[in-house]
Amino acid sequence: MRLWITGSGVISALGVGKESTLQSLLASKSGISTVRYLKTEHTEFPVGEVPMSNDEMERILGITADTPTTRTSLMGMMALREALQSAGIESEALPQVALVSGTTVGGMDKSEQHYLDFLENNEYNEFIRTHDCGACTEMIADRFGRFASVTTLSTACSSAANAIIYGARLIESRSADIVVAGGSECITKFHLNGFNALRILDTSPCRPFDDSRAGLNLGEGAAFVVLESEQHALARGAKAEAFLDGYGNACDAFHQTASSPDGEGAFRAMSEALRMAGLQPSDIDYINAHGTGTPNNDSSESAAMRRVFGEAVPPVSSTKTFTGHTTSASGSIEAVVCMLAMQNSFLPPNLNFSVATDCVKPISEIRRGVALRHVLCNSFGFGGNDSSLLISNTNNCVNQAVRIPSHSSKQIYVNSVQHISAQVPFSREWMTNPVMYVEPYVRSMEPDYKPYIAPMEARRMGRLLKRALAVSKEALAQSSIEMPDIIVTGTGLGCIENTELFLDALCREGEQLLKPTHFMQSTHNTISSLMAIHLGCHGYNATYAHKNISFDSALHDALMQLRGGSGDTALVGGHDEMTPSYYTLLCKTGYLGNDGEMASECSTAAVIGTESRKGTLCRIADMRLFYKPSVMQLKEAMNTMLSHNGLNVSSLAGVITGFNGSEYSRHFYCDGYKDLFGDIPMLHYKHLFGESYTSSAMALYVGACCLAEKHIPKSLEVNTSCPSPSAPQALLLYNADDGKNHTLTLLTAV
Amino acid sequence: MEELILKLKNEIIEVLNLEDIKPEDIDENAPLFGEGLALDSIDALELIVLMEKNYGIKIKDPNEGKDIFKSVAVMAEYISKNRTK
Repeated sequence: MRLWITGSGVISALGVGKESTLQSLLASKSGISTVRYLKTEHTEFPVGEVPMSNDEMERILGITADTPTTRTSLMGMMALREALQSAGIESEALPQVALVSGTTVGGMDKSEQHYLDFLENNEYNEFIRTHDCGACTEMIADRFGRFASVTTLSTACSSAANAIIYGARLIESRSADIVVAGGSECITKFHLNGFNALRILDTSPCRPFDDSRAGLNLGEGAAFVVLESEQHALARGAKAEAFLDGYGNACDAFHQTASSPDGEGAFRAMSEALRMAGLQPSDIDYINAHGTGTPNNDSSESAAMRRVFGEAVPPVSSTKTFTGHTTSASGSIEAVVCMLAMQNSFLPPNLNFSVATDCVKPISEIRRGVALRHVLCNSFGFGGNDSSLLISNTNNCVNQAVRIPSHSSKQIYVNSVQHISAQVPFSREWMTNPVMYVEPYVRSMEPDYKPYIAPMEARRMGRLLKRALAVSKEALAQSSIEMPDIIVTGTGLGCIENTELFLDALCREGEQLLKPTHFMQSTHNTISSLMAIHLGCHGYNATYAHKNISFDSALHDALMQLRGGSGDTALVGGHDEMTPSYYTLLCKTGYLGNDGEMASECSTAAVIGTESRKGTLCRIADMRLFYKPSVMQLKEAMNTMLSHNGLNVSSLAGVITGFNGSEYSRHFYCDGYKDLFGDIPMLHYKHLFGESYTSSAMALYVGACCLAEKHIPKSLEVNTSCPSPSAPQALLLYNADDGKNHTLTLLTAV
Repeated sequence: MEELILKLKNEIIEVLNLEDIKPEDIDENAPLFGEGLALDSIDALELIVLMEKNYGIKIKDPNEGKDIFKSVAVMAEYISKNRTK
């Protein structure tokens, strides 16, 4: 199956849309300049800002002044609009289209503006809920209509590339017909100061691969590409702008903010993309490098390119010299740049290059009239989240037959699952003797971390990282798998404790002397990267940050990766923490603090794989994600899932719901329950484990324990009028926390 | 100088979050990087913040830090000569 890119849209410092981007590239005209829109003291750093104020974008998009927006969401809407238009997708078709967006900053622009207001008054409370990455993606989505599913990738500077990779998997696994994937990210004081604390910003225009390079310039923007199978595109009469023939995602597993000297992660990502496309290094006519301009990145990336291409490295350039480093959006912005280069037969130059060094020597002048058959587009993120996309020209249709990715219907087993939560850590004591709470907010019980983490390693870990590492190690030990092939993590907020510390210092003390350690931990992918670094795991690595389905998206990705042949075992985690101050903020929004519910935090780690082993708890038979579905749609999906697995509704021993005891939650889970699930016993777990963005990971844990122990504890039953059968064979997990994102996961006994 | 060395050790333990390490565990003449405490580049950046915040010493180039952060004793000497607060 060949993947077609049938539409694209972009906004960056080069302007709005593909035409303006193309003209700037052809004129070798950089968009990097002195700061204009961001209110920062650091005017010494050149930046690549989108040449438009928020008001101007709102006007173009027809958004009224009283609608809460963030700069990231506005840029995302501008790019998505162009992508949908160019692919000929009308709003009526959106229920067949999945949206995957990458961001790390999310709504931080508004959070840093109003953080002290959040704490001290109620004037800007609407921006508390626009802070997280998922909220930002939903704002982008909701501007256009109802998408089939929506999720958010967050692997720092490779987020958009990984969103495109996840999108490709969605098509290959037939989970979606059309996927719009990319990323959006605005410049904030938060990450400008974070990068400054790490001393990786240049006060001059960046000079990637140059001997005098001294750091990067931040940029901002958004881009999306429309992906569909060749068959689907032909059937609806869509034209291909390019083909996505290969992709690779690997983890450098070296350091949270530095690349390894030999570029292991980058080498693996590029090699995998070539392997998947069935191409030789000599088939690549251009590499759009990650090329940030930091001494470390460019020498590491050069080493990786030489490992793949030997002496014959194809023409290389970093177009970050035009746009600045657009961080989470760079993967999709640069993919669009590659497509424009292919369609218009030119090589975009690496501006500002003068003195060669031991790095790869980039092309410093534009080259026109160059036919490009295949190009690689590199994106590397903090934590060593390295990805490479292989994009092919539509004028060259060879190699169709050799493209390798496939999707099997392999069985997937839960080999082990562990938790640190409001119940006794690493224990199933809750099944017989649960700790019952009356408080509205409970923090997790902490195990002794010493056996898991050496003191010198612990020095740079907040509570969440410690919890995540300890619970992952327990899960791996329980499964007797030392090294997973794949690591995927879900986290709604990441290490919010560190984010708050950095934000607090930024807002109260100003833009000087901020701690790099706090900034490093504020990126959501720190958790997944920590696992990889700790285990030395170079395999597929991704992080999802989308509200209540952060874990569900991670699990769904892991299932696709396992079935798509990326490996046999995966470590999948759901990790969130709830600080007292963030709890107070979420209470203000009505998301938490409702009567009857308990807010908490939990870390869950599951080892899943394609083989049943000693101690395997259950099978994950199927999983579906939806955005704002109708009851009818959910019912149909459930019946399809069951019949595919030779089951029917009466086979289900219960539905484990996210009902948390509040009226708010009752509305989503209880009111329509009978219509959806009839008389199947309704089960709940949040009165024991609490409410948090990734509490759905606890549902997997609870369901797996019930199937393994062949027993459903009384404490899980909501309504005792229909008691659960004694030896459950199948359980459905239903997550619909805010009524928008719904997931159904079918677990069966082994 | 001894007083400054002890103060500095406590500050290093605090900003680098060195749980379980006491001031007496740090040999003021031992290297901070490579061996000894085996700190890394991020720790160096934290020490740069410490120098400016607590002693008013600005270190522009992280490479300059390499010589200053050789050991606690070297740091203390540099501070006593260059401090502005």
